[in-house]
Amino acid sequence: MFRNASPFHQSAARAEAASPLSRREFLWASGGGLGGIALSMLLGEERAQASVVPGALGGVLHHPPRAKRVVQMFMAGAASHIDLFDFKPELIKRHGQPSDFGEHVEAFQDGLGPWMKPVWDFAPHGGCGKLLGAPVAELGKVVDEIAFVHNMTGKTGVHSQGTLLQATGFNRPGFPGMGCWVSYGLGSSNDNLPAFVVLPDHRGLASNGTKNWDSTFLPGQHQGTVIYPGTANPIADLFPAPQGDFITPASEGAGISLLHHLNARHAAGRGGDERLNARIQSYELAARMQLAAPEALDVSNEPGHIRRLYGLEGAQGSFAPQINPIEETEYFSRRCLIARRLLERGVRFVQIWSGNDNGFPRRNWDSHEDVERDHGPLATGMARGASALILDLKQRGMLDDTLVIWTTEFGRMPSTQGGKGRDHNPYVFTNWLAGGGIKGGVSYGESDEWGYKPLDRSAATEVYDIHATALHLLGIDHTKLTLRHNGIDRRLTDVHGHVLSGIVA
Amino acid sequence: MRRTQTLVVVTLLLAAGRPVLADPELRSPGVDYVRDVQPVLSAHCYECHGAEKQKSGYRLDVRELAFAGGESGEQAIVPGDSTASPLIRFVAGLEPDMLMPPQKSDQPRLTPEEIGVLRAWIDAGASWPASASVTIRDPSDWWAFKPIALSPPPLSDERNAGWSRHPIDQFIAAKHREKGLGHSPEADRRTLLRRLYFDLTGLPPEPDAVERFTANPDSLAYEKLVDELLASPRYGERWARHWLDVVHFGETHGYDKDKPRPHAWPYRDYVIRAFNEDKPFGRFVEEQIAGDALFPGTADGLEALGFIAAGPWDFIGHAELPESKIDGKIARHLDRDDMVSNAINTFSSLTVHCAQCHDHKFDPIKQEDYYRLQAVFSALDRTDRVYYDDRALTTQRDALEARRREFPARKEAIEAAVRKLAGQPLIDLEREIAAAAKDPRPPRSPQYGYHSAVGAEENGVKWVQVDLGRQTAIQRVVLAPCDDDFNNIGAGFGFPVRFRVEAGNDPAFAGDALCLSDQSGADYPNPRNVPQGFANHATARYVRVTATRLAPRQNDFIFALAELEVFDEAGRNVATGAPVSAHDTIEAAPRWSTANLVDGVFPAAENAGSDRLAKLRTARDELLARATDPASAAALQTVAAQRDAVTRELAALPAPKTVYSGAVHHGEGSFTGTGAYGGRPRPIFVLARGDVTKPGKEVSAGALEAIPVDSGIFQLPPDAPEQSRRAALARWLTHRDNPLTWRSIVNRVWQGHFGRGLVETANDFGHMGELPTHPELLDWLAAAFRDGDQSIKQLHRLIVTSATYRQASLDNPDAASIDGDNTMLWRQNRRRLEAEAIRDSILAISGKLDLAMGGPSFQDFTIEKAENSPHYRYDLADPENPALHRRSVYRFIVRSQQQPWMAALDCADPSMLVPRRNETITPVQALAQLNNQLMLVMAKHFAARVDVEGEDAVAKITRAFHLALGRVPDPEELASLAAYVSRHGLANGCRAIMNLNEFVFVD
Repeated sequence: MFRNASPFHQSAARAEAASPLSRREFLWASGGGLGGIALSMLLGEERAQASVVPGALGGVLHHPPRAKRVVQMFMAGAASHIDLFDFKPELIKRHGQPSDFGEHVEAFQDGLGPWMKPVWDFAPHGGCGKLLGAPVAELGKVVDEIAFVHNMTGKTGVHSQGTLLQATGFNRPGFPGMGCWVSYGLGSSNDNLPAFVVLPDHRGLASNGTKNWDSTFLPGQHQGTVIYPGTANPIADLFPAPQGDFITPASEGAGISLLHHLNARHAAGRGGDERLNARIQSYELAARMQLAAPEALDVSNEPGHIRRLYGLEGAQGSFAPQINPIEETEYFSRRCLIARRLLERGVRFVQIWSGNDNGFPRRNWDSHEDVERDHGPLATGMARGASALILDLKQRGMLDDTLVIWTTEFGRMPSTQGGKGRDHNPYVFTNWLAGGGIKGGVSYGESDEWGYKPLDRSAATEVYDIHATALHLLGIDHTKLTLRHNGIDRRLTDVHGHVLSGIVA
Repeated sequence: MRRTQTLVVVTLLLAAGRPVLADPELRSPGVDYVRDVQPVLSAHCYECHGAEKQKSGYRLDVRELAFAGGESGEQAIVPGDSTASPLIRFVAGLEPDMLMPPQKSDQPRLTPEEIGVLRAWIDAGASWPASASVTIRDPSDWWAFKPIALSPPPLSDERNAGWSRHPIDQFIAAKHREKGLGHSPEADRRTLLRRLYFDLTGLPPEPDAVERFTANPDSLAYEKLVDELLASPRYGERWARHWLDVVHFGETHGYDKDKPRPHAWPYRDYVIRAFNEDKPFGRFVEEQIAGDALFPGTADGLEALGFIAAGPWDFIGHAELPESKIDGKIARHLDRDDMVSNAINTFSSLTVHCAQCHDHKFDPIKQEDYYRLQAVFSALDRTDRVYYDDRALTTQRDALEARRREFPARKEAIEAAVRKLAGQPLIDLEREIAAAAKDPRPPRSPQYGYHSAVGAEENGVKWVQVDLGRQTAIQRVVLAPCDDDFNNIGAGFGFPVRFRVEAGNDPAFAGDALCLSDQSGADYPNPRNVPQGFANHATARYVRVTATRLAPRQNDFIFALAELEVFDEAGRNVATGAPVSAHDTIEAAPRWSTANLVDGVFPAAENAGSDRLAKLRTARDELLARATDPASAAALQTVAAQRDAVTRELAALPAPKTVYSGAVHHGEGSFTGTGAYGGRPRPIFVLARGDVTKPGKEVSAGALEAIPVDSGIFQLPPDAPEQSRRAALARWLTHRDNPLTWRSIVNRVWQGHFGRGLVETANDFGHMGELPTHPELLDWLAAAFRDGDQSIKQLHRLIVTSATYRQASLDNPDAASIDGDNTMLWRQNRRRLEAEAIRDSILAISGKLDLAMGGPSFQDFTIEKAENSPHYRYDLADPENPALHRRSVYRFIVRSQQQPWMAALDCADPSMLVPRRNETITPVQALAQLNNQLMLVMAKHFAARVDVEGEDAVAKITRAFHLALGRVPDPEELASLAAYVSRHGLANGCRAIMNLNEFVFVD
């Protein structure tokens, strides 16, 4: 057969997994009066027993998994580790003094002004006593579930490259997002929803646009499916565009049936080509997605205590023109709640974004001008949503096998840019992880006294290590999930990556 | 020496934890490599220094390499002297930086006993039997690197004598015989016609053409149809798209702030033209690498260079980061890597980019080869290149542009003389300025002010005005200057040299404007940071400032103001927040925007009090003015006059054409190309592990040493112009003895006709790629192509007239059990149409396809926030807009956000090289084909068309079916459709037809 790189492989696998063909043919021959949607529901029950569409690993993992699904939060623009998670008392002591890094530093802009203390006070939280900055105090409720990695290091201080590196493992475009690899390896556990869902910031996409989750050389079904909850078509083309004024519910049902009928006749004369049946099935799956997606995205039936948990009790229609914590909470936390609903329904990988590209006024974490102004509201909203999501997963027994990853493209400098902002710091920043086999309440790796570089520069943690650890927890050996493209066996971790055993429970 | 050794032993004891091997006499005499040593190396070392990986270029499973050592060049194993052997020093931790396995590795550290075994073995002479060493195959001993073999087609035997039409069939039949396979019958005429139409033009046949062809008694009807389709302009559009996939052509930069490239399309048109004109392939290759050098003065030679610039470009990494910074170096390294990969993947079908960190692991590509290829392109950047079809005009314009670029240097030379005259006081003053500039400045708001577009002429008139909303009694107008350190200008940036302040009631200032202050008669001294007030009475709604002589920058001119205040009789600034309009504006938020002119933010307001720096700068200007002798003043005037003359000459030339291409960049803003250095290529060094901070040996331009092409091609004098490097690469690629180029292109064309190449991995003929299924046929085609006219059309004709191509695509279980993938071509492959072909078909059958060729791409999106990070909103496009109804090859291709409908149907991702598209079948695709606005609008047009063209329901449905599928429906199909249409209408029926499997598959 074709190997994985083959265009036919995935669709063939899909067809084989379900193979309801004989039954469909029987149904058509005996009772053509069934509507297409009803038929597909019937067939769907049949498939529910076969349940899973296997991925490249064919359902056979490399070792027993700790996690079955992932939610990744990405702070676009580069979130400041030293103002939120990585407390540096030395900066308080030296606040306002000219910075001196003891070596030549290449700042991205002009970020070598005086040392600047953390913008907020830090206080201890949880049983572990982790110090957190005031805007993320809400994470204190779940801090004993979290492992912080404080010695993350990147490659460059350029947003596009840094974002691609954290999202795809490569600092140039053309490589699949992390969620694509997970979908590719594990397949889907729910046919009715995409395996990999992306919830972008409602104000726009971050650097590189969809390149952070495009499937590139992996088959297209592993692409992140963008969902904008609360819009008429939350998934592109989920329902007919307004120009389809000639379409009625009746014409839809009968139309799907007609397609089945004509396509089955066409396929019958062309045996040995699984693609034809796969395409027939894709219309059933599409119809099922039309039912499943709105249900999954509808938070209106969430009980009051859940809405309160996420801080969504007083949903507002309009917000102040300035960046503010109420608006940030409303949007980020809502995405977290929807993520939980998607994960519950079998979506493998949900990616939640905070912050858009570098527009004006600033609505991302790239606080060159004023950390307090941007980071304050963004971090408050993020912490509320993330904390609620972890608590909610926990109370449903899902945290044990759901891996939560928090990341950003790089950190920010301990010095100012002359004012209240901080320049890019690709040399060190923080990631944190929770659930899904992660050891909670730990801080792994250290940055130096300034939060400028890793304390031990020879043992920095790289994105490859985070990715290797995530795949490890999913039961995958990161060196063995590969696809040959342009002469190279490509993998998420390139030729690097070590499992961070220090944060695995 | 002895002392060192003692030290080593002592350290070893500490490192090992307990005293082992302190006395060499205690070692076991009988250490055996296979029994004792190899297991240790295998357990601890092979993971990184074995067959798979050779970190630091070191390999421990091959005897010679294990002894020789890695990249450091130091011998790793010194037989008889373990303490001098780096292998021991590293595993024992004697060199903490080189501890092996490393701290971070998952590999277990060696135990003291294991270290002892290695030591004993080395001290005993390190005996290693050859039989226990892996032998490495010579990587250049590989089919793709061997000369193209000229073998005659195998003779037919009786079984397929009647089938074989020409040489291709003889090669295919020979393999059939070998595998016990037979061929499939010829497909019926209708199938052949549809197949041929899509293969060669990407469009469905019209019903008339179907019926004409099926009824044609001419025995050469098929061959004539082939010629007809190859002659159609639609052919070039179809095959250009295949080529654009391979070269990852896109029309935005990609990365962050994904800016459009409005002039990328001439390259796309060049490719279409090249296919339609059947340009000899060698020339096609040469033009894309070095058209400017090899075919000077031709438009093709310049437009083809769009190839070099086809891929993504990191705008921030280049424009905001200078080449001197590490991040800037990385961005430029990645940029050249893209150029090299594009060239070698496309033309040689090799993955050369694997050699940027180390010699290619599998193929005979040295790391140095890779950097020599980078040196071929190292003078270039991606930029707009201006040209004319007329060579003389291009030359004239280039010469004028070159002269224009000289003026700043000439001006500087004169000014340097003046500076000399100004003497020590100037030096002191400038030292003071430099010191003052370092003083910490209070933080400033980023809203600098209004900034005009950049002008080429000093005396170009520009204006900006406010609308006060109603007639207002004006008492005083204040102009606040900007402060921007661009070009070290500082306070007073962009303040006009001559200007007028006017008030009026006509927004066009055509009529009775009142001049509040006229400063257009003489140069106005630069006010630095001091706002300039002009008191005068007027009653008017509009206040305009007109610059009649602009402020100079390096070699161009601008007009900028931080704030415009208009005070009424009550002393209120009534201009605050008023609408602002301007002759032109650069609009670069947050710094420059018309709204910033009336936002109350300007330098003097922010740092109230005197600005020492500004005063010092004024003093310097005055000093320089005094020092300027009449001769220098005259010389400066001459330069200015000449510059204006050149600018006028340039303006008088006809509007030139522009193509985004690989070219020497002359700098823009803070970005500097190599233009300032006469286009001298940047020096290229072999980078240790691809790290820009670890440059090694400097290399000259070159290509792959392992390819047996005359190496004299790259023997260039050191001062040879940069084009000669590319010309050499072009000649290397198209050399008769370079087997890769010719095999690569015939394989790509084959893939276009069968869905799979004779080599399945069209971009990788190396050891990681697939082997050719029919190596003799591949070589026969390559040789015939190379030695003939290098005509791609002839190659098409050869392939599609073969019996192999004309086979039916139906299944044959017996054959499938032998060759399920049909690699032996016992039938034709059924193919899913590409996104472009589906879209074009939909437009065609709906009667909406606009066949206009060439020119700027249509944009099926709206750009929001264009000034910063453009958002490409496909959902805001109007599918009824006829401008969007052209063929898909003319669609504007955005890199950061692919067109969702096209992406769902697996269109090529322009962020990577696409030798062959993935073909997926997903629910998202079904939704796109069912529900996208384009589909629904076209379903209505399709219905309207057949409604007119058919008399009754049956005729309408039949017509729709015929248009979409090239055949009439059978009675059962007709009945089902008719029943559906009678209940739900023709538009729904047409929508269903456009969603049929048969519509998107070609048998």
